[in-house]
This record gives sequence, C-alpha cells and structure tokens, in this order.
Amino acid sequence: MNPITPIINGLKITLSHLFKKPVTLQYPTERPKVAQRFRGLHALNVSHNKAKCVACYLCPTVCPAKCITVEAGEDANHDKYAAKYEIDMLRCIFCGYCVEACPVDAIKMTGEFELANYRRQDFIYTKERLLEKK
Amino acid sequence: MVNLTIDDKQVTAPKNATIYDAAKLNGIKIPILCHDKKLKPFGACRMCLVEVEQMKGRQIPACTTPVTDGMIIRTSTPDIVKARKMVLELLLLNHPIDCPVCDKGGDCDLQNLTYEYQVNANRFTDEKFHHEIDYNNPLIERDMNRCVLCGKCARICDEIVSFGALTFISRGIETKIGCEFEDALNCEFCGSCVSVCPVGSLLARPFKFKSRFWALTNKKSVCSYCGTGCNLTLGVKDDKVLTTIYDENQGFHKGQLCCRGRFGYQFINSDKRLTTPLVRKNNVLTEASWDEALDLVASHLKGAGASAGALATPRLTNEELVLFKKLMETAGSANHDHSAGYAHAALTEGFARSFGTTASPATILDIQKSDLLLVIKTDTYETHPVVGFEINMAVKNKGVKLNILSDKSGKLSKLPDATTLIHTPGSEIAVLNAIAKVILDEKLADGSAASIPGYAELEKALAGFTPDAVAGQSGLKATDIKQLASDYAKAAKALILFPAGNAYPGHNADLASAAANLAILTNKLGKEGCGILCMAEKNNSQGAVDMGFYATNGLNASQIIDGCANGSIKTLFIAGENPVVSYPDQARIKGALDKADFLVVSDLFLTETAAMADVVLPACSFAEKEGTFTSVDRRVQHIKPAIRKIGQSRSDFDIFGALIAKLGGQAPVAPSAVFDEIAAATQGYAGMSYAALGEEGVFAPVAVKPVLVAPKAGAVTPEPGKLALVTGSVLYHNGTLSQFGEGPMYVCPEGYIELSRSDAARLKIENDDLLNITSAIGSVKLKARVSPRMPEGVLFTPYHFGAAEINQVWTGAPITWVTLAK
Repeated sequence: MNPITPIINGLKITLSHLFKKPVTLQYPTERPKVAQRFRGLHALNVSHNKAKCVACYLCPTVCPAKCITVEAGEDANHDKYAAKYEIDMLRCIFCGYCVEACPVDAIKMTGEFELANYRRQDFIYTKERLLEKK
Repeated sequence: MVNLTIDDKQVTAPKNATIYDAAKLNGIKIPILCHDKKLKPFGACRMCLVEVEQMKGRQIPACTTPVTDGMIIRTSTPDIVKARKMVLELLLLNHPIDCPVCDKGGDCDLQNLTYEYQVNANRFTDEKFHHEIDYNNPLIERDMNRCVLCGKCARICDEIVSFGALTFISRGIETKIGCEFEDALNCEFCGSCVSVCPVGSLLARPFKFKSRFWALTNKKSVCSYCGTGCNLTLGVKDDKVLTTIYDENQGFHKGQLCCRGRFGYQFINSDKRLTTPLVRKNNVLTEASWDEALDLVASHLKGAGASAGALATPRLTNEELVLFKKLMETAGSANHDHSAGYAHAALTEGFARSFGTTASPATILDIQKSDLLLVIKTDTYETHPVVGFEINMAVKNKGVKLNILSDKSGKLSKLPDATTLIHTPGSEIAVLNAIAKVILDEKLADGSAASIPGYAELEKALAGFTPDAVAGQSGLKATDIKQLASDYAKAAKALILFPAGNAYPGHNADLASAAANLAILTNKLGKEGCGILCMAEKNNSQGAVDMGFYATNGLNASQIIDGCANGSIKTLFIAGENPVVSYPDQARIKGALDKADFLVVSDLFLTETAAMADVVLPACSFAEKEGTFTSVDRRVQHIKPAIRKIGQSRSDFDIFGALIAKLGGQAPVAPSAVFDEIAAATQGYAGMSYAALGEEGVFAPVAVKPVLVAPKAGAVTPEPGKLALVTGSVLYHNGTLSQFGEGPMYVCPEGYIELSRSDAARLKIENDDLLNITSAIGSVKLKARVSPRMPEGVLFTPYHFGAAEINQVWTGAPITWVTLAK
C-alpha cells in the first residue's frame, strides 16, 4: 500500500471531526447529563416524613469497602430506626451493593458526582446530609 | 445400642434415643423448630417428618419416635421435602415477614429453613395476627405475632426453671403463648425462654437493636457471678460485650443461665468503669500515671512486714490470688484473707476437720443422680440459680425426693413433693445434730461408722440433742425430725447442699461439720449421687480456698480490720472487695479503713471502699483477662480475654506482677506459668494445664478422710419484742458486683425487707412502706415487702446494695434482733 494513504485516511477523520459537535464538556459552565442508572452520591429515601431506613444492617454487611456505619435505635413506638447512618465517601467504591441489598428501598444512588471537599471530616456523610432532598 | 439405617447409612444409637437423636448423633441433620436438647420431646412443629420403611412409607415425626432395631429411615425423600415446604408455607402464612426489623434475623430457625427449602411464595393467604406486644418488663419482649407455637418457652419455664410463667392459651387458630390471665410477663427473668425461642417472639430487650447476630464474635468464657461455674458465650462487637449467646452444647448446664448470668453482663463495658489510676492528693482522688501510682504503692509495701494486710475478692483468678499472696510475702506479710474471713469457714475449718480437705466431696452433677436431696436453706436457689435448675430437674424428671431445712420457705419448697421443715432462725445446727442423734439411736448408721475417729465423742456430744429437745428449740415437730433422719439414712443415695457466703454467717464450720456427720455416719460419701456440696458465693470462692488465700499464719479479715483500727496494720491492699458494703458492721469497717495509714484498692469501679482509698488502681473484668476459676464443685475452668482491656485498666495479675518486680521480686511472665506452679503445688490440680482444661474444664478430685466432729450448736435466745433479721442473697444479685449489671438492677434495683403477713398485719405495715430497722448497732431505712413465705417473727433482707447498706444494723451474727418502725 502507498505509505501516504493511511496518513490521509487519518487526516480525513480529523477533518470530519472539525465539523461535528465536540465531545468535550466545558465543565463547570457546561454540565453533563447523568444517566438514570449512574451511581453517584447516596441518598436516603423518605416516606411519611421520615427516612425509610429500618436499620436492618444489610448494607453495612454487604458493603465491600466497609464504609457504612449504622446504629439502630428504638423509637417511642418500639420500632427500629437508624439512629445513626453514616457513609464514609473516602472509602466508598460506588458499587451500589447497598442499594441492591436494601429490603425496604430506603437507599438510592443519585446523579450527584461532585464530591470533592477540603477536609477529611467533610467526606463523612451523616444521616442528615444523606436524607433525600425534595 | 440399636442398629438402624438412616439415609442408606448403617448407624447405631442408644436404645432410648429418638430418630432425631440417632440422626444427630450420626451427623445427619433433620430440620426442626420445636426441639431442644434439654427438653422432653414434644412434636409440635412437624418439620422433622421422616419416612420409615417398616411403617409403610408414612411420614412420622423423628423427634418423638423412638428407634427400634433394623429401622430403615429416609430423611429427605421428595415427598418429605414437599411436606416440609408445606409446613413452612403454613407457618409463614401468619408469621410477619419483618425480618429487617426483627432482632432474630440471622439467627432465626424459621428464616434459615425458609431459605434452605426455598419457600419463596405462598399458595395460601390469610391475615397476620394482631396481638399486642408485651413491653411491660425491661428484659424480655414478647411479640406473639411472630410465634410459631413450638412451645419451647413454656416447656423450659416449666421443666427446667419450674416457674411456669408461660403456657398455651386458647385453641385452634387463636392459640397463643401467654401468661396467667393474659397479663404481662412477670417472672424471675432468667431469660431461658428467650434463649430457646426459634423465632423473634421472645427477645432480650437489653440487646434489642444493638447489633445483628452475624456481626457478633462469639467468645467463650465462664460466668463471673456465683460459684456454679456456668459457661457463657459472650457476643462481642467492636471490643464491647453486647450480649450473652445461647449454646445448648455448652457446659453441664447445657447453656442454661440465670437472670444475672444472662442479663448482667453490662458491668464489663459500663461507663462507670475506672480507666486510669487515681491517687489521693490534697484529699481528692486525682488521675495519675501507672508509674506514679505503682511507685507509691510499692514504697508503702516495701519492708512493710506484718503491718501490711491484703483483702481480695474471690472473683480474682487463681493465678491472681497466688500472685497476690506472693506480693504480700515479698512485702513480708502473711496477713491475707477474703470474704470477711468467715464466709469460707465451712470449707477451711468445717470440711478441713471433718473431711481433711477444704473442698466439697460432691459435684453439681450428683444432684440429678441422687435419690434424696437435703437442702439447707431455700436460699440455695437464690444464691446459685443454675444449681437450683438442677434441683428442679432432679425432682421433676428424676423423681428425686427433696427435703428442705430452712428458716423460711422459698421457690424450692414449691416443687412437687418437697418437704420443707421451717425451723426458727439459727437452729439449723441443732436440727442437724438431732438428725445425727436419731441416726445413732435408731441404729440407722452405716456399719463402718463406729470405726471412724470421733465416733464415741460425737455420741457423747449429741446426748442433749434428742429430737424432742431440739423440737422445742427449733419449732419443728420431733416426728418430722425423726422422719427426715430415717429418710436420709435409708435413701440409697443422698446429697446435702448448703450455700455459704458473706450473707450467711450461720453457715459456718459447725454447720459444715454437722452436715458432714450425717454423710459420714450413713456412709453417703464418695459415691455417685452422694456427699455434701457447700456452695460458696463467688465464682472463684473455691479457688481462693484451694490457693490458700485465707488466714493460716497471719491475720484473718476481721483481725486485719481490727488491726487497721488499732494501728497495727498500716498498709491495706484491697483487691476487688467492697467491705464497706459487704462486710458486717459498717461503722466498724469505715472507722478502720479511715484509720489505715495507706489504703490501696484495685477494682473495676469506684466503689464505696475505693472512694476511701489513697490509691485506686483500675482493674480488669473477667472478660479482659486470662486465668482459671474453680467452681464450687472444683471444676477448674480456663478463661481467655474476650475483649481488649478498657482504658488504661490492667488485670490484677499485671498489677501484682509489676508490684512484685518493684519490690525486687521475680514477676512471672504469664498466667500460664503461674498455673503450672498451681498445678504442681495444689492438691487435686496435678497434671492440669491450660491445654488440658479445654472448654469444659477439669474436676480437681477431692480425697476425703472422714472424721466425726462434734459441732457446737449455739443456743439462740430471742430478745423480747424484737424480730429476727436474717440476711441473704436475692435471686438477681451476687455480691456487690451485680449492682453494675443493668439487667439485675432493672428487676431488683434496691434493698428491701421481707416480712410475714402476720407481722405486717400486727404492725400495720403494707408493701413499699419505708421502715426504720433498728438494731443494737444502728438503723437503716428499707422498703417493706410483705410475703407469704416468711414465718412470723422473721425478717429477711438481701445484702448487696450500696444504696441500702444493711450492714449498718447487721453485726455479722447469724441473727440480728431488730425493731421495726414506720
């Protein structure tokens, strides 16, 4: 084959891309459209004005990174609720097992991906921070 | 033995085994919900269905069918699997599927079987139950909506605990487990029902929602309350003991525990635990470093000689007690003792002279093998509840005759055919002497008795103890004494049991000898189901005696206290004891401790005694250290650390070791080395090592050289117009340690005074009236508890409570004469 041909073929592709919409996003002015099943920051689902979580401990059990800390409490009706629910985002590997394991659909993963912070302490997401925003 | 075939496997099983037992014995698993090793077969759940070829393929329950020779059994044919699935479907029809919030999740037999048999859907529909959940007590939650009606709780409460709090109520679909009159559960809270519940119907509330079962690490240990030596499995998570876990294969008691054993573990991780050494500066206890504290202690012990004294709690391990003794020897002192100096006298003096040994010539295992039990004081059940369960089972299952000699009735008197002879307080030795007298007079003694040393002297000494004379003094009938004597003497096997402890000063050397005489005269010794069991109070009381941690050449506890008061004891080291609460005559103890130049206390908590100390050293609980405990029947058991040491606390072993080193002695490297020394030096411990002890422990044999000793029976002279106050232990507590266990404190939070109905009526006293109890030495305020079990003129009070110190009125005499006023 003529040694020039592949070079020209390559340049053709390059040239064609000059007239296409660029892949690069001008982040942060431009925002990506996150897919439905994207696994970002967790959120605790709310129902009847309280977290659906019943503190069954399945998510900390299944979590391969051991980043979830749950402590159950007993409310006035003797029902179980999560007195403490914390996720250490520095440890989380966003595998989504916690969502899969949850028997009461209490936890989901949102499209939120901007998780950078200045202090280590700020990566510990407490129950209040995790509660679903409506 | 019987030969049979299970699942094409040739197996053998004992003749009295059921199919279930035979299968289990041979490693074949049959699923079951309603079976427990300790309980009689019941056949409620129908999960254990098997096919027996000889029964024409009918499905029969394995747990109630005895094996016969040549049986051909199949445990999992497609038909059986189908039937079991059906059983599960029907159970799940009414069982709520609330596993995520049920504390039993992960440890639930129903959940496990549902998973195993893949019952994913249900062909039937029905409404779930809507029973009210019983949250009325702080220890046991009863949610009958989850109940599968296996009946284990009701059966264990009846067959073993003998309380009968639970039973089946109603019929058909409305059947449920309930309490009397469908009321709230109000029992002795041993938690046995919780331990056997296959589902989440009965739950331990102190552990509720604390952790999931699968997150716990099981650590085997030995209970640190009474001397029974029950094995415990501690549920540990993140270095915290969160619960006790039931294991039906553990110990002679097969996992059976009492209220304090099961629910009293919270002292281990209590917030009140001491975490740093404290040194008194400017009259205030301030935190200090270990070096500072130990240097200070060492400087006072160095060369102290006979001016140093040591009091230890018999909750220390054998190794620690030996080391404590060694520390005092290094300091030049032989003054060491435990348990107020008298609580061990039954062993160290009584048995020592009657049997030539300081241990009981019987084991707890003899209880169920005996024909007749003679229990001295119904308190035996309260002081050692798991021994009490053994008595229950002996009486109810084995038909053992139960005779009780007591100054009040109690739970044991309610057992079927139990004979309780209620004597006036303090006359038990006289009654035992009268029994011995009857045995001699009516020629009921064994032929060998006359040749035993002391026979002639005893015969002479008992001359005055005719049944008629003693009957007058003790309030019993002479015929009852004679009957008891002949029953005891004629029984093929008979066992005497009595408790000993700080609260039982009357259970002294003479009582031990008086009881020993009966066993020696009738030759009920050294045989299965025979002997005498002296049940010392604390978990290592027998060990403390075996280690020789009592006054031999030096001062005893009482003399040490006196020595502090008169200045001859300058340095007093108290390890774990709380004399201010547990020793008699508080004013005397406090005065003496005040006068002591230098008081060192090592304890888990800042007890009333520790608060008076110059140096307080934070010690470790049993869950944090290694060592051995010796139970009342001389079973030596090895404990290993279950959690890391709390805060800066150190085990007493380390504390004593460090002090010995500071005094210039040779500190041992590890408890195992000290135990090897113990094994070499202690009678009966020969050949023992940590490895040899294993999980179940090993009995140290007791060699008996019987001698008949004439016991002194001091006459009790009633004081006119006064009532007889007897002290004792209450079921939920042991010593003063159980005050830091939340479970016992929920059920029995404070001291009280128990009095008879007739006295209450005469003095117009009602339950919960605050009474002023006045004796010759002081007075104390306690709540009244009117009880049908007390005879007229007798009062009972437990001694455990720092908030109601009955030692303000109690001088250490077996009976204190008091007046009551509202």
